[in-house]
Amino acid sequence: MSIQNLQTFDPFADANKGADDDVQDGLVHIRIQQRNGRKTLTTVQGLSSDYDLKKIVRACKKEFACNGTVIEHPEYGEVLQLQGDQRENICQWLTKAGLAKPDQLKVHGF
Amino acid sequence: MAEEDAMFDPTLIKKKKKKKTAFDIDAALAEGSGDAIENVNNSISNNVADDNKEEDIDDNVDIDLDFSKKKKKKKKPFNMEELESTLPDGKDKEDSALDNITNQDDSIMDDNFDLDFSKTKKKKKKKKDLDELIAEADDKQDDKENVEDSTVSWTGSDRDYTYDELLNRVFEIMRDKNPDMVAGKKQKFVMRPPQVVKIGTKKTSFANFTEICKTLHRQPKHLLDFLLAELGTSGSVDGNSQLIIKGRFQQKQIENVLRRYIKEYVTCHTCRSPDTILQKDTRLFFLQCETCGSRCSVTSIKSGFQAVTAKRAAIRAKTS
Repeated sequence: MSIQNLQTFDPFADANKGADDDVQDGLVHIRIQQRNGRKTLTTVQGLSSDYDLKKIVRACKKEFACNGTVIEHPEYGEVLQLQGDQRENICQWLTKAGLAKPDQLKVHGF
Repeated sequence: MAEEDAMFDPTLIKKKKKKKTAFDIDAALAEGSGDAIENVNNSISNNVADDNKEEDIDDNVDIDLDFSKKKKKKKKPFNMEELESTLPDGKDKEDSALDNITNQDDSIMDDNFDLDFSKTKKKKKKKKDLDELIAEADDKQDDKENVEDSTVSWTGSDRDYTYDELLNRVFEIMRDKNPDMVAGKKQKFVMRPPQVVKIGTKKTSFANFTEICKTLHRQPKHLLDFLLAELGTSGSVDGNSQLIIKGRFQQKQIENVLRRYIKEYVTCHTCRSPDTILQKDTRLFFLQCETCGSRCSVTSIKSGFQAVTAKRAAIRAKTS
């Protein structure tokens, strides 16, 4: 029987993982706002400015079948704005496209 | 077994025949040499003889216990293995002898298990009476049974202990010595559900807002800021200490937000105890734990980007 405590463990595994070149740093805040009636609005704040937000919004509009825009904000930079409750969709899409990691996404709202 | 004992000779022959047919294919696949088959046949006879001896011994050992069926099943694969490994007779004998020993060991082990079950059950009952632990899932109980079996099972034998067994043993001793240990079980944090009532079509009332603030030991303002920032709306506390939020919200939605608040600002990030104090230190909020004494900063409440949801014309009319 082998001693289980002495199994090989790479102490630099995390360091290696963090070193790869991903552009996204910091959290992506995904919020929801209520509009009149049952209507809602989803905002995505904090995506890296290296990404082309216009292209992202174009892809999202097609994927989720909703309208959306990019809004320039003096404090928060470019913010994605999509019509309807797209929180689940945008989370899955961002991770699938490799734009952000699941632990970088922060979903707000109810 | 009784049958086999009675029909000693016929079984011998029958077994031989069966095994031959079963084996021929394997032999053909493997080597297909006649000599090998002959060797194997010899080994078969040896094996069968050994088996019968073994059965006799077993009969002596455990008459009351009905292991006979199990053992038959066990033996057959052993024999097949021996057949497949076309070894000389001497080695086969050794192997079969080894098998005999292992089988007997198994039977003994089984006996031990049976005895242990009764013991463990008694133990469990006692423990329950002592601790009066409630609400443990059935699966967990099953796990515990298994665990206890495994912990007791190596007391009689000489084998090496596995890591899991030792770990379980340590935890069991810890639980026995100090039953009111916090780390062992999750302390439940019971809270009243928020009472959420609709006011008209556009507003929602959170009736027991201040009560919840008191149970959480937090300033109403802090919770209010968090709720409004998360929900992305506006609202205020009215005269009878209820919170009026703009927008339509259901109870479970508010519950979700409250849960997130408790996770971030109430429970200690290190030991998860709800016994904490939120202090403001140079613009930053710090969470001080009363049980473990840890102190860590918490994220500040930010509402972030707020899109324009009201009618633009109305906003323009207001400002001008």
